[in-house]
Amino acid sequence: MADTNGNAQAVAPSRITTRGGLRGLLDKLLATSAGNIIVAFVLIQLACIIAGLIWSEQFRYLSPSNISIMLKAIPTLGIIALGVGFLMIAGEFDLSVGSIYAFTAVVCSMLIAAGLSAWLAAPLMIVVGAAISMSNGLIAMRFLLPSFIVSLGAMLFWKGMIFFVHGAQAIRFSGSESFKEAFAGSLGPIQMPFVWFFVLTVLFHFTLRHHRFGNHVFAVGGNAPAATANGVRPMQVKLICFALAGACAALSGIISAARVGSVTPAQGGGLELQAIAAAVIGGVALTGGRGSMIGVFLGSALIYTIQDVLLLMRAPGFYLDIFVGALIVFAAIANQLVGRGAGK
Amino acid sequence: MNAPLLETRGVTKRYGNLEALRGVDFHISANEIVALLGDNGAGKSTLVKLLSGINPPTSGELYARGEKVTINTRQESEDIGIETIYQDMAVVDDMEIWRNMFLGRELRNALGFLKEAEMKSMTMNELSSGVDISGIDSADQLVGSLSGGQKQAVAIARAVHFRKSILLLDEPTSALSVRETNKLLDYISNLRGRGTSAVFVTHNIYHAYEICDRFVVMSHGTKVHDITKAETSVDDLTQMVINS
Repeated sequence: MADTNGNAQAVAPSRITTRGGLRGLLDKLLATSAGNIIVAFVLIQLACIIAGLIWSEQFRYLSPSNISIMLKAIPTLGIIALGVGFLMIAGEFDLSVGSIYAFTAVVCSMLIAAGLSAWLAAPLMIVVGAAISMSNGLIAMRFLLPSFIVSLGAMLFWKGMIFFVHGAQAIRFSGSESFKEAFAGSLGPIQMPFVWFFVLTVLFHFTLRHHRFGNHVFAVGGNAPAATANGVRPMQVKLICFALAGACAALSGIISAARVGSVTPAQGGGLELQAIAAAVIGGVALTGGRGSMIGVFLGSALIYTIQDVLLLMRAPGFYLDIFVGALIVFAAIANQLVGRGAGK
Repeated sequence: MNAPLLETRGVTKRYGNLEALRGVDFHISANEIVALLGDNGAGKSTLVKLLSGINPPTSGELYARGEKVTINTRQESEDIGIETIYQDMAVVDDMEIWRNMFLGRELRNALGFLKEAEMKSMTMNELSSGVDISGIDSADQLVGSLSGGQKQAVAIARAVHFRKSILLLDEPTSALSVRETNKLLDYISNLRGRGTSAVFVTHNIYHAYEICDRFVVMSHGTKVHDITKAETSVDDLTQMVINS
């Protein structure tokens, strides 16, 4: 703010030129870490909506059933991506989230089948998910290993553990009606999974941008030695982020179990990379220290928008890989350009 | 005689096979400004980091106001009243100036949420008073977008703002202009009247001689000279650093 600067401003004329009107607004938007994704998301949605209005018979993008399918599909990946994105901003990875997603859902279903209330089994398994991810972080930091490698091992380990504790067959998720209502029901026209996803996004956003802990997360991910020099403890901060990533993965697994009514042990494969993709598309830097939860939210939504558009156009499944693959690279380039603009 | 504010006795710091500090006895008293001189690799920065708690000693003892202490974390050094301007500035490029300024010591409400407006205005106040560096228009600028001198100004403003009894300055003028350097030197020499002592690490012996009361010359991890201003001159000090 120029006027709070007082007399120092007299010798230091502002060298930041700001453009007015719509272009100025665009400049401001692109300068934020979620700027690229917001612009891309809005443009793609506009294109889809216009196409849906013009060819309403062939391209049923705006039909209630299509919108309902989208809102159901997004939270599964989205909730995982929030935790993964948060952890990535702190400068770490967890590739085991897909396995945690399946493992906790399977064990939760087993516990419920054995007579435990879903209201107890679910929180318990969310804690287990957090503990699994934390153990990855602990091993990585204790032995100075990249978390990428440690969690790659954990991904296989916990995938194997699912078959060890349960076997390969699907298991029914028979939680109480009240539990299913809370996690897979609907609030007015919106399904509960999406409500959870939205609430978590808002909660994580405020924690990251406006809470002391978020400040430390950015510092630890951006420059860990500088954070240490200022009294922040990187290990402590990162472990909490690992716990969040694991808890999110478990929550997502339990929500989709409640929604579908059963769990297959093989589900969740590939979700870890999709979550990283959603985070990168949403503007999270692979090197840590940069990113936003709004970006991750839109990144997850964008992946499913593309998937949905391809389905509506009856394109073969591999088209999704081609599009999402290209999008990841474009997003990474865009992030890099934004980063360089900040003087890196 | 009063016990020194801060004292090291026989402090050693090893990095594997390298002995960066070898049995260093160093002290700083109240209202004293001590210059830490010596060639590159003499151990000046190692000593500063050791006193700041981010680089604990391998062996040796530390005393604060006569009492034996440990300084193994930044928290412990802060409790003793130490504030540091690090040589590498210890700022996070991807964060705004105000977030860097208050990193680790955020002003927050009972729930831990940040008092942003307050921190921003305090940041601008500190940047425009104190050392007064030009060209910083807003506390919302990312530190990565600043010049070297401006980054150093942020690091200085942070240490000055939270200053308590001891200020450690590790080459704080390396990226500053002549005008800014003079302002900082003025500021440091006025610290005495404000109850703050300082350790000033520099390669510029003229600057050191201008503002410091005592001069400690280090070489290859040991202290080789410890001399007061009355006993020496710029030429003597130059010879000590060169010949050490």
